[in-house]
Amino acid sequence: MLAGTISTVSYGQFSEFTDNPSSFTLSSDKNTLQIGGRIAFYYENRFLKPGYTNLDHNGFDVKDMDLDLLGHTANKFTYEVHYSLIDLVTAATTANSSPTTPGFKAAYIQYEGFKIHIKFGYDKVPFSQGNLSHEHETPMWSHPNITSGDFFARRDLGITLNTSLWKNRFNLYAGAYSGLGETVFQYGGDASGTFEYIGRAEFSYPSKMAYNTIDEQNSPILHFRVAANARYEDKTQPAGGAVIGTYYPGIYGTYMINGTRTIYGGDALLMYRGLSLTFEDIVMNMKPVSQSDPLFNGTPESINKGVVNGGGFTTELSYDWLKAKSVFCVGYENTNADDLIPGHMEWVTLGYAYTLNSFNSCAKVEYYIPTVEDVIQKPTKYTGQLRIGYQLVF
Amino acid sequence: MRKFILIIFFATPLLLSSGLKDIPHCKFKFESFSSLNKILEPTDIVYDKDSKHLFIVSGHGILFECDLTGKVIRKASEEGMDFEGVEVTDSFVYVSDEKPRQVYKYRKSDLSFVRAYNVTWGGASNKAFESITYNATKKCFILVSQYPVFIIEYNDDFKEIDRHHFHGPRDISGARWHNGYIYLLSNLDETIFKCDPTTYDIKEYYKIDVLNPEGMTFDGQENISITSDALQRIYFFKQLPTIKQ
Repeated sequence: MLAGTISTVSYGQFSEFTDNPSSFTLSSDKNTLQIGGRIAFYYENRFLKPGYTNLDHNGFDVKDMDLDLLGHTANKFTYEVHYSLIDLVTAATTANSSPTTPGFKAAYIQYEGFKIHIKFGYDKVPFSQGNLSHEHETPMWSHPNITSGDFFARRDLGITLNTSLWKNRFNLYAGAYSGLGETVFQYGGDASGTFEYIGRAEFSYPSKMAYNTIDEQNSPILHFRVAANARYEDKTQPAGGAVIGTYYPGIYGTYMINGTRTIYGGDALLMYRGLSLTFEDIVMNMKPVSQSDPLFNGTPESINKGVVNGGGFTTELSYDWLKAKSVFCVGYENTNADDLIPGHMEWVTLGYAYTLNSFNSCAKVEYYIPTVEDVIQKPTKYTGQLRIGYQLVF
Repeated sequence: MRKFILIIFFATPLLLSSGLKDIPHCKFKFESFSSLNKILEPTDIVYDKDSKHLFIVSGHGILFECDLTGKVIRKASEEGMDFEGVEVTDSFVYVSDEKPRQVYKYRKSDLSFVRAYNVTWGGASNKAFESITYNATKKCFILVSQYPVFIIEYNDDFKEIDRHHFHGPRDISGARWHNGYIYLLSNLDETIFKCDPTTYDIKEYYKIDVLNPEGMTFDGQENISITSDALQRIYFFKQLPTIKQ
């Protein structure tokens, strides 16, 4: 997990298991198969507002129970199957599933024999630093809301092309996907027959950076990455067509829409001597076909012009104090899922990790404060949330 | 409760003993660097005293012979998958292919392929043998796993003889025997460790200012060259400084 700055250039570059040191590898001549996983538990305590008595979020919870198979063949294919046992068990026992608990996290093959690598399958889509970064490699227990999978899909099935230029400093992605995100396994749930198209361009200096947002290496020189990305889909359903996927439209109404949606954004990452700073801004532009769509919030067309905007930004400042095996992190997030509904949301998150062996074996404490509440779209019942737990990556 | 949480967050954890604090050490700065534009991901480097050339391996599985500035003279036709370590002896060049756990043997005279040896390491795919050197003191080859760090000794046919658990650094990415010592290079700690060639105990260490140092060698004048794979560069240092006790 540590650094791995260059090793992720081609070998499962979005994988959460390319650098975990405690996994096991089988090799037979030039074919290798690495077996890894992650187990994490925490205690969660929500500080409820007066009048609320439901304590169903005050107790122990399983964060991760993941297994991963990451292989490389002699003829230059990389493949990965990463699944969450706890997501699958939860879905089987409660019939509840969501994009934030997708069960399958990766299942793809990638050919690396050409200058342009070709990946076919299900994996994270190349959009958003917050999406591509692994939260288990930070003191936090979860991603910021906007990149957690509720605003838009984090993973999908499709084709991704990737290449790097100028000593890997430029890293480019382009791909076409089902647009159904984590609900793609319900094949046939989209009558539009269209794809979602995603592109991302990164520039890193002085060298390519992995999708780690903590400076575990304590970089002796300033190391940074800036990136821009965009995604577009037209999921306008034909008359009498099926509803788009089983999760439509999502808890914010933006996960999928019956219409067109463009999302674009930029992100940046800086690291220097243990300090790291991230910033990300995301803008969603949605055009539902029906004026009765809840996203319009009942506003007349003369006001909404047929367009709904949403988005937000996040930033995190972290410090990895190597000698004390400690990582500190402060995050801030400001989002508005729908500009036609009054209100927005702001959060401050504090995180601390005691890293016995990097983030492969560590205790984490996260305190999450909703500082501004969107009382109409997403009212909260609590004033703060504490999570304390332990994770082991193998 | 919030105050309690804030205290936990901002409380300063006790500094742990690093285990290295009593060992003599100093900082060691490079003099210059040269870009390796033709060698993608240069992972290790070794100086050949006979030809006065450098052998450099690429993480893309290619062995290069270069002049002292890093200019490519020729490359081996037999390619591997993930070359991470290189060593030269009187007649042969040995290369560690990390992912498939193999050691390639080439003739030094024409870089023709001789054979490959299988070595075993059950740990993570990208944390295996990034270092190979010939320990002339013990007359054996050693391969060093990146993490956890084990120094494993082999005979000339790469049959394991012995292994030593090496404590201290977070990883090891390069190794070189030179003038009666074993030098180990840590990528994550950006540090050169000077070690006893028999016990591998750390005698001294030198903190360097290079991002992602992966391989090191000594030239005929005792100067040190270090490759950075991420930056595709060779960093040139002078002789190791004498550490004031």
